[in-house]
Amino acid sequence: LFQKTLEIYSVELSGTKDVEKTDKEDGKEKYRGLKNKCLDTKKNHQKEEFKKELDLDDHKLSNKELEKKYGTDIITGLSSSRAAELLARDGPNALTPPKQTSEIIKFLKQMVGGFSILLWVGAFLCYIAFGIQYSNNPSSSLDNVYLGSVLILVVILTGVFAYYQEAKSTNIMSSFSKMIPQQALVIRDSEKKVIPAEQLVAGDIVEVKGGDQIPADIRVLSAQGCRVDNSCLTGESEPQSRCCEFTHENPLETKNICFYSTTCLEGTATGLVISTGDRTIIGHIASLASGVGNEKTPIAIEIEHFVHMVAGVAVSIGVLFFIIAVCLKYQVLDAIIFLISIIVANVPEGLLATVTVTLSLTAKRMAKKNCLVKNLEAVETLGSTSIICSDKTGTLTQNRMTVAHLWFDNQIFVADTSEDHSNQLFDQSSRTWASLSKIITLCNRAEFKPGQESVPIMKKTVVGDASETALLKFSEVILGDVMEIRKRNRKVAEIPFNSTNKFQLSIHETEDPIEKCSTVMIHGEEQPLDKSTAKAFHMAYMELGGLGERVLGFCHLYLPADKFPENYSFDIDTMNFPTSNLCFVGLLSMIDPPRSTVPDAVTKCRSAGIKVIMVTGDHPITAKAIAKSVGIISANSETVEDIANRLNVAVEQVNKRPPRDAKAAVVTGQELKDMSPEQLDEILSNYPEIVFARTSPQQKLIIVEGCQRQDAVVAVTGDGVNDSPALKKADIGIAMGIAGSDAAKNAADMVLLDDNFASIVTGVEEGRLIFDNLKKTIAYTLTKNIAELCPFLIYIIVGLPLPIGTITILFIDLGTDIIPSIALAYEKAESDIMNRKPRHKKRDRLVNAPLAVYSYLHIGLMQALGAFVVYFTVYAQEGFQPTSLINLRVDWEKDDVNDLEDSYGQEWTRYQRRHLEWIGYTGFFTGILVQQIADLIIRKTRRNSIFQQGLFRNKVIWVGIASQIIIGLILSYGLGSVTALSFAVLRPQYWFVAVPHAILIWVYDEVRKLFIRLYPGSWWDKNMYY
Amino acid sequence: MTKKERKSINQSLTDWKLFLYNPTTKECLGRTAQSWGLILLFYLVFYGFLAALFSFTMWVMLQTLNDERPKYQDQITSPGLMVFPKPVTALEYTFSRNDPASYEAYVRDLKNFLKPYALEAQKNLSVCNKGGLFEQNGPEYIACQFPVSLLDECSGANDPDFGYSQGNPCILVKMNRIIGLKPQGQPRIDCDSQDTSIATIITYPPNGVIDLKYFPYYGKKRHVGYLQPLVAVQLRFVPENAGQEATVTCKIEGSDNLKNQDDRDKFLGRVVFKFTMRA
Repeated sequence: LFQKTLEIYSVELSGTKDVEKTDKEDGKEKYRGLKNKCLDTKKNHQKEEFKKELDLDDHKLSNKELEKKYGTDIITGLSSSRAAELLARDGPNALTPPKQTSEIIKFLKQMVGGFSILLWVGAFLCYIAFGIQYSNNPSSSLDNVYLGSVLILVVILTGVFAYYQEAKSTNIMSSFSKMIPQQALVIRDSEKKVIPAEQLVAGDIVEVKGGDQIPADIRVLSAQGCRVDNSCLTGESEPQSRCCEFTHENPLETKNICFYSTTCLEGTATGLVISTGDRTIIGHIASLASGVGNEKTPIAIEIEHFVHMVAGVAVSIGVLFFIIAVCLKYQVLDAIIFLISIIVANVPEGLLATVTVTLSLTAKRMAKKNCLVKNLEAVETLGSTSIICSDKTGTLTQNRMTVAHLWFDNQIFVADTSEDHSNQLFDQSSRTWASLSKIITLCNRAEFKPGQESVPIMKKTVVGDASETALLKFSEVILGDVMEIRKRNRKVAEIPFNSTNKFQLSIHETEDPIEKCSTVMIHGEEQPLDKSTAKAFHMAYMELGGLGERVLGFCHLYLPADKFPENYSFDIDTMNFPTSNLCFVGLLSMIDPPRSTVPDAVTKCRSAGIKVIMVTGDHPITAKAIAKSVGIISANSETVEDIANRLNVAVEQVNKRPPRDAKAAVVTGQELKDMSPEQLDEILSNYPEIVFARTSPQQKLIIVEGCQRQDAVVAVTGDGVNDSPALKKADIGIAMGIAGSDAAKNAADMVLLDDNFASIVTGVEEGRLIFDNLKKTIAYTLTKNIAELCPFLIYIIVGLPLPIGTITILFIDLGTDIIPSIALAYEKAESDIMNRKPRHKKRDRLVNAPLAVYSYLHIGLMQALGAFVVYFTVYAQEGFQPTSLINLRVDWEKDDVNDLEDSYGQEWTRYQRRHLEWIGYTGFFTGILVQQIADLIIRKTRRNSIFQQGLFRNKVIWVGIASQIIIGLILSYGLGSVTALSFAVLRPQYWFVAVPHAILIWVYDEVRKLFIRLYPGSWWDKNMYY
Repeated sequence: MTKKERKSINQSLTDWKLFLYNPTTKECLGRTAQSWGLILLFYLVFYGFLAALFSFTMWVMLQTLNDERPKYQDQITSPGLMVFPKPVTALEYTFSRNDPASYEAYVRDLKNFLKPYALEAQKNLSVCNKGGLFEQNGPEYIACQFPVSLLDECSGANDPDFGYSQGNPCILVKMNRIIGLKPQGQPRIDCDSQDTSIATIITYPPNGVIDLKYFPYYGKKRHVGYLQPLVAVQLRFVPENAGQEATVTCKIEGSDNLKNQDDRDKFLGRVVFKFTMRA
């Protein structure tokens, strides 16, 4: 006797079937949202296009009518000439890429953006001043020409630099979006041809098989076991079957239409192309995305605010002193030159370039951690994010069915759903499990594609449907070589699971498989199936179904060898074998499980004060289950419905007034549709945990806008085409790099290369750090502006020989200070930045009043004094004592006074004085430089002591200091002979004159920080903490 | 203007008013009286401290100086030349011998300049030995007399108009004072007229010799009453070519350590001036 083990059925039960029904009803509504939006859009053509889509009745037409409508023939296809005509009329079957700003405009924008306008004005004033001077006296000095040219050079260089940085980060993306040209199998002139999918036209007959992307919107004419993955369009992870029957009024719900860019998972289908390119459903969504304007990033707003502030200060001080100078009887020409100098001194020329570099450094750092940033400014946006609207499928979940629970021996077991399945903890010693595993292994048509021996099991490609794939991988992990087991148990006959073949009936019957079973296996023993076991089964089934899982039942029956000898011919058509009275072994439930890193990441976002909202196109039950398992709805929170269920009261009776009992809310697209914006706002602001299910792309957009109305900075994550409008609308759109569709990636500002939600946490951290560090950089840079500005004010009012030249200032701003200010970007966080609330985009400014006041009026002023000490020292030791300098300016600058007497009775020629003036410039320069070193060190922290932060932890700071000193040395000793630069060789000891002031700056700042730490919230803290 | 805009303007006006004075919080310009008091007190103390600190560092710096001679003289290693009277613009003189008003300013300037050289002013100074450096060790430093008579016709003694009324204007050339400068050799100031057909030149003392006894100079504080040696240049305009511009170049010659050529410093050891006598 030999025993054949035949499992006869694997039965599918749908855990979500309860929902499915209602969903079908609201399916109509689901897309009405989409329609509404399109009617709202001002673009007329879009409106018309959409109307056409709504009028779409191709799914209702018979084949004959279709042939007529599209002028085609289902058997022979279009003629090549007709196809060419249509192609010429409708254009290629491809989405029009979003309009790009032309490169020249981008470049020009860089040239006039930020401080550039001020500098252009300065440069032109320089030339005008020179023109006037020249017309008066042709031999006048070229200083103003030098200055004007240098200013223009500065504008152009910083502009080119910023443009280059922008271009570089855009290039990363363009290489990314290159697609492999798609092919389509089309019937034309009665011949099957493979043509590029771009050349498809409406009326073409195409054939699609498992694994293909649908090349256009297609009306299915015939199909064999065709199932498509619509997840990129609707967010449903479950494959949808496709056949040629008209099943639903709504073209988006009916089974006889396949959509462009969705994937055919298995089976084959022949279809008629009904629309191509931008006229497809995907095309409409894409145009919805491009219709959404790009919001200004928070950091761009901050920088704009800062530029306005600094420019305002520069222009008002400039104009004020222009008036003062005119009142002091200076010539208007001189007053204009003062104006230029004041503007140059006040504008941090290098700062915007520094900010760009800083951002791109962070972008690089993030790219290493698999966050690819498309738009540099988005680096910071993530840091200020206060709400993350996350798509479910593919973002929070792995987007593949996985065995989550098992039920056998009257018990529910939890399977490991992490990415590698490595940790299966359930009891595998039971003999029931042995039987169950046998069924899983054998009653399964899925197979690994050959040639993947070295690939980890979970990553192997499988031929077969999602459920079978899940089962195959599950058993392969636990049992080892499944193929080998199958070989040992030869398959005699099989009836594949198929909803379209005649086994529809059997499936129907087995929806409750227990009715077919007379026995149940418990602890390896077959027992008769009594009522209590049946009840236990039902309980388990309901429980697993309630988790949003797809439940499969497994039964077996050992066929007696005498009745079914080895040569027995099984006929699957006549079913000459028993199909009832089987032994029920167990249940397996499957779900698209969350990524293992997500729960932790969600917790981290929570503690960082970021609200995580799930927005999905999937069913509410599944959505809620996933939300619970990843912590978007925390374990002890309940929705209004939960409370109603628990208390056994109507939903309306649950306390909805604050303090609310329900912390969580699950809102469906259907409910959302009927809500006014105010109601949505109320939900968004009152529930900390929200899940939106069954939402359309348009509704995702509405949700994002709702969040933005709360003054939140909204991040949207998503992978599907349906997410792209929301991605675009969000302050920062984050697309998945692996699972993401191109439309999503195009609309996003950031791409997660590893699809890991946890990378967002890294991004948030980096973004917050960069915001803090940019504050430091700006504070550092603004400080010296006062030290650069004071000399002019003193020069105008007190009449000292000019302490520092305009060109020298440019050398500080664009020379010595650049690398140190970038170095601050490498500073580590002072405290746990992930434990504080996200910054409020209107209250927590990048440059706030305390920052400006502390930089300008405290440190800046101290710096100016220190630099003046150097200046006075240089002059005094060369013969001009401080008191003798007062009001010396006029004589000092007269070209024909060549015997100006100093404090010792010596007489100086004009050139000798000029050279001394350059030494003065250089002295003042080194004074600022030395104190900027102190400034750099104090800016490492805003609250902590330098010693808490560690003086040497950020090595780049020291590189910055070294660069400062080296550039300073080169300028004063190397370029002392270049007239236009007005540097002169300085005695080495003058480098040390400002050191006491530098030390004082450091001590003062330590005291400031100490008081801030000692008295948080005090007057001192409020006024001194920036 | 739409209603909305007007509303927003009104709104911003009230916002401003609230910012100026907010009666509910008693805030003026965003701060309460106490806050203003504290912040003003803070800045008073802070800036007082900064001022004290600045004064202190300046005082320390001034301690490094001595008031007799500057610490460094590396910027003035060689003296410049300068002429008197000082013209109003550049070094261009124009006058007409028939129009006293045209040279009145020059004459006055010269007279002023020569005041310390008057006999009475010099009577406390010593007559020093000619021909050599007059190095002194202090503590008293003697200043030597410079008799104006050396300037002969340009001394103003005989001709109060310094030759301007005769068409032979005088210009005084002096070498800048530099403490401790010891000229080598026999320095003289050499002046040339570019075109002798317009004007010829006579220098006083003859050859423009500068006596070494006036060197070295010991500074304003120690060397009280010091008089710089002067050289006078008299231009003799050729009346036929009146109205043309005469260019005169004066240079220090005869001394190795006194430079008279520098590309950038046009007044180092030399001076160029232009003279026009209108007809």
